[in-house]
Amino acid sequence: MKTGVPFREGLFQGSDEKGSLLGARCRQCGQIIFPRREACLNCLGNDLELIQLSRKGKLYSYTIVHMPSEHFEPPYAVGWIELPEGVKIFSQIRGWQERPLETGMDMALHFEKLWDEEEKEVVGYVFRPSTNGGA
Amino acid sequence: MKKVAVVGVGETKFSGPQDMTEVELFAEAAMEAITESNLKPKDIKALFVGNALGDFAEGQGMVQSLAAENIGCLYVPATRYEGACASASMAIRDACMWVASGYYDIVLAGGVERAATMGTGLATRTFAMFSDSRYEYPAGITFPAVFAMLTHLYADTYKIPLQKLREQMARVSIQSYKHGSVNPRAQFYGKNADMTVEKVLGSFVVSTPLTLHDCCPFSDGAAAVVLASEEVASKLTGKPVYVTGTGQSSCGPLGNQSDYLPRIRAREISSQRAYEMAGVKPQDIDLCELHDCFSIASLIAAESLGFFDYGTAGEAWEKGEADIGGKTAVNPSGGLKSKGHPIGATGAGQVYEVVRQLRGEVEPERQVPDAKIGMTDTLGGDGGTLVNMIFERGW
Repeated sequence: MKTGVPFREGLFQGSDEKGSLLGARCRQCGQIIFPRREACLNCLGNDLELIQLSRKGKLYSYTIVHMPSEHFEPPYAVGWIELPEGVKIFSQIRGWQERPLETGMDMALHFEKLWDEEEKEVVGYVFRPSTNGGA
Repeated sequence: MKKVAVVGVGETKFSGPQDMTEVELFAEAAMEAITESNLKPKDIKALFVGNALGDFAEGQGMVQSLAAENIGCLYVPATRYEGACASASMAIRDACMWVASGYYDIVLAGGVERAATMGTGLATRTFAMFSDSRYEYPAGITFPAVFAMLTHLYADTYKIPLQKLREQMARVSIQSYKHGSVNPRAQFYGKNADMTVEKVLGSFVVSTPLTLHDCCPFSDGAAAVVLASEEVASKLTGKPVYVTGTGQSSCGPLGNQSDYLPRIRAREISSQRAYEMAGVKPQDIDLCELHDCFSIASLIAAESLGFFDYGTAGEAWEKGEADIGGKTAVNPSGGLKSKGHPIGATGAGQVYEVVRQLRGEVEPERQVPDAKIGMTDTLGGDGGTLVNMIFERGW
């Protein structure tokens, strides 16, 4: 079995059941951002705390891509998911063949393989239509 | 700041894959612009060259220096600009600033690209480099996907049924094909003049709900302009076209503008700067070459530029208000959709068109009657770079 490695360090932690996306909250103005950065773009404050973002959100917009890209065979879906914190996450969307996508629908966070590399499989966050209610 | 005039323009045909190198393409456009200006290459004090992907397209870096040498501009500063699809507009805007400062009196600016020669696979991969490689690219982002998502957002935000919106978007493509079909420099010259809404909607799906005819092509091509101070311009031409306003705005990945989408906030700020600098309003603009990389992009751009109210641009296209004879003539060249989109050259191609429209020199079928004020709008990345420029007749 190949070792799973995140496509980028520092964006998320954990696995399917308990994992979460890692954002930051500005202690000065309260702005919540993803991904994290050193300074708040809203107030330029640099006192930010690490926070775990909600695992559920609503589908803000989406598309089903019918052209191949480097790592993904078409058709595959991508979209923005708006979390209760107000942050919009750009993500691949899975499970759309079973549950037709619709703006505003409830979505849930998962961690899955994105693509294979020689010795490892690259994992990342995806969202799937939620089966048991939204945020 | 001193007044800056366009005194000459040049352009290659925009096309599919072809054999000329980027240096050769740029030289062809540059020499046309220099010759038209009644100048010689030795008169050019500096070059500003937009080029996004030449390194990948043909393994050629430093294209600006080789291009300068190729046209006989030796020992002058030559600088390359990279801002994805807005590269050439950035180059021209900066060139304007150098002339406006009084430091140079005659400069050459433009751009070149061989995106079609790259082939769809390499072009798709390298275009995706203009998204954020930290987290947009690994999720599978593509530019058609970005504008497809904006299409859904546009329909949701302005409460337009998706099918109706798609029909309005088809009108955008049909208008662009019509003008490009009579523009000899256009990639689709002589083609697609008989496009119908049914054909647009029925063409193959690229990224739902966008179909092939909603999307601009990959193109090869180059364009260049000669800019001069007012004093020099008055000696060279009786028809100087003044650059009266410019604006540029950067914003990184599209997510940074997510509070505004489907509006592109960077464009609103960039165009506002240009309007203020020129002292004109959107309703004063007779024609605009805007960044229609996708049909929905035209609607979004025309609204952010202030030509139509938010959510009404589709209706405007249906009524002919965005066409020649309407409120603001949009893309009489055929735009990116039909004239073509050689990304590093696109902005210079827009300036080429606006200047020739203001001089009254384009084919009669697509000439905007008595055009006095024109504007360009160029977008790079997924809204991360915006450049707007306003041009006015100087006679």
